[in-house]
Amino acid sequence: MSEPLLRVENLKTQFFTESGTVRAVDGISFEVHEGEIVGLVGESGAGKSVASMSLMRLVEDPGEIVGGEITYRGETLFGLEEGPDGELRERDEMLSESEMRERIRGREIAVIFQDPMESLNPVFTVGGQLREFIELNRDLSSGEARDEAIRMLREVGIPDPAERYEEYPHQFSGGMRQRVLIAMALACEPSLIIADEPTTALDVTVEGQILDLVDDLQDRYDTSFVWVTHDMGVVAEICDRVNVMYLGEIVEQAPVDELFYDTNHPYTKALLDSMPRPDRTVDELDPIEGVMPEAIEPPSGCRFHPRCPDAREVCTRVHPETLEVDRADGYPHRTACVKHDVFDVDYDGSVPLEPGDEAETRVGGTGTEAGADSNSSSTGEEEPASPDGGDPQR
Amino acid sequence: MGLLKYTIYRLLQAIPVLIGISIITFLLANLAPGDPVRLMLQGQQADEELVRTIEQRYGLDQPLHVRYWNYMTGLVQGDLGYSIHRDRPVSELMLERAGPTLLLVLSAYVFAIVTAIPLGIIAAKRRNEPTDHISRIVALIGVSTPSFWIGIMLIIIFAVQLGVLPSAGLVYPWQPPEAAGHDGYLEHWIESIRHLILPMIALGTLQMATLMRVERTQMIESLQEEYVKLARAYGVPERTILRKHAFRSAQLPIITIIGLNLSTALGGAVLIETVFAINGMGRLFIEAIQQLDYQLIMGVTMVLGAIFVIGVVITDISYAYIDPRVTYGERE
Repeated sequence: MSEPLLRVENLKTQFFTESGTVRAVDGISFEVHEGEIVGLVGESGAGKSVASMSLMRLVEDPGEIVGGEITYRGETLFGLEEGPDGELRERDEMLSESEMRERIRGREIAVIFQDPMESLNPVFTVGGQLREFIELNRDLSSGEARDEAIRMLREVGIPDPAERYEEYPHQFSGGMRQRVLIAMALACEPSLIIADEPTTALDVTVEGQILDLVDDLQDRYDTSFVWVTHDMGVVAEICDRVNVMYLGEIVEQAPVDELFYDTNHPYTKALLDSMPRPDRTVDELDPIEGVMPEAIEPPSGCRFHPRCPDAREVCTRVHPETLEVDRADGYPHRTACVKHDVFDVDYDGSVPLEPGDEAETRVGGTGTEAGADSNSSSTGEEEPASPDGGDPQR
Repeated sequence: MGLLKYTIYRLLQAIPVLIGISIITFLLANLAPGDPVRLMLQGQQADEELVRTIEQRYGLDQPLHVRYWNYMTGLVQGDLGYSIHRDRPVSELMLERAGPTLLLVLSAYVFAIVTAIPLGIIAAKRRNEPTDHISRIVALIGVSTPSFWIGIMLIIIFAVQLGVLPSAGLVYPWQPPEAAGHDGYLEHWIESIRHLILPMIALGTLQMATLMRVERTQMIESLQEEYVKLARAYGVPERTILRKHAFRSAQLPIITIIGLNLSTALGGAVLIETVFAINGMGRLFIEAIQQLDYQLIMGVTMVLGAIFVIGVVITDISYAYIDPRVTYGERE
């Protein structure tokens, strides 16, 4: 397989708040290949948006990327190394802030935000905003950028684009504004578009239209997407591969069909059971019990165990790595659940957790890292996790 | 067309406001203790016959509501009344005195705007850094210090101690240089500016401090908007974001404050004109009150009221210029 367009390895983004360090993104790894739509799925607070903003190095204060590596077309967007003094420092080949701004943001990686109502500046014309970004990221003259803006507005299905060009955002409906934002992203001709829940704020019929539009445009422009969503239905419709996130971690990663039909992680299964599916008939949908805990003090062991129907005693102690369990269509199927045989931690011999047992759950530590090659897994002992000394994921 | 209609509509709305101002001022002035005629004849033995004659001549012997009615009928015909103490028509005095006051208030506003907006933006950008803390302390002091005290301090420092700037009066740039005893326009205008600096700062500090605080808050809010994040994600340089993307939508409250603070500024001008011995409307107003010159009090109040109302209307109109979502009350 060719070198991926984007490679994210063990990315960690934390927020340093007064009440403690929030480990919003806690060591995720994934790849995006040319022309692919890769989903980033999970509940609110799973760290999807922070992860996607980290890719452009646009995490806002008090957040900071504290570890991992982001490589885009061979360029290091983020990378640390150990300096001679033992402190971590940014690697020399890591792009500077101005290089990120001038070469990456907009030009190579563009974004579509969740809320089309808030994403356009109310005091400038829609066309003017579009033109500005095109001018900036494609080195076109003002006039050429204007023509291009109008062409793109037509391309995303806005009627009378030349007239609408002069109008202000409040004169557009929500769906039309989201089309404008898509036009904005495509018009800069990036190779990768990060779409952060772009259809969540829209009603279902408009959502369908927008998804069709993206599908169609993606075929023609061959742009790759990182598609952030909480909606498994959207995932099924447009994604090629999916990363399921829970509390800052990727708990399952697989091509979309594999994920739907050979679901491995109980969280993914719970997500799928909580939505209606045309291929299954059920009397009642099965919501996931409880709410996701705070990323400030994640549960010990597997972070999902307090809500997991299959949790056993071992799950409170052992923190599973995301390991490859299968391959499908040439891509790995990775999962982070000790139920699977590749985790040699004696899940079957462990006592199932009864409701109420969660009281024993230790919070604060990440627990022991478990992996096929990890010798700590067999000892079953808890080790407090040091802030940035987490075990490498592979 | 919408703009003209809207302006006329807003000016018509101002009429009840001005009538309200006139009633309150008329009552307050007339209820104040003292007799204007006796005050005027001060020093002379008040001859009852003379007092009555003068009262009759100016209609002061009539009941209050009749006097008010007479005054208002004159006003709608463009007659601002007659100053009994100065023996001149009020309109003539207004024409003489409005210039210095407007010059003072406008220059104070210019001073406040050109200092407050950049300072507010810098404070917002460097939020919670030393620059921000210093500017907030300065703003707090500016908001809480009376303008006349600032004026007196400025006089003590720059006029008395350092002797670099004049402390009294203004030189009117619209007058010919010869009238002020200057050789040419250059000298004349330099002198105008030199005379204006201290009163301008004294009057403008409060406005500056208020505007700066609002500008800072608005910019902080504006910098957190999704569209600012979007601009960053598309590689727009931070300078452009500050000056364009975040700036424009943050200015609406500033305009509101400028419009509403016109009343504070006009009120402050009364004090500042006294401190700096400027012959503007403010000083005229104080003298009119001391002399119980009823029609002059009314005249000054009505003119100041009208200036305020016009200022607010201009504010409302400039809203729509900045924010396309604001329309002049018409539907599309």
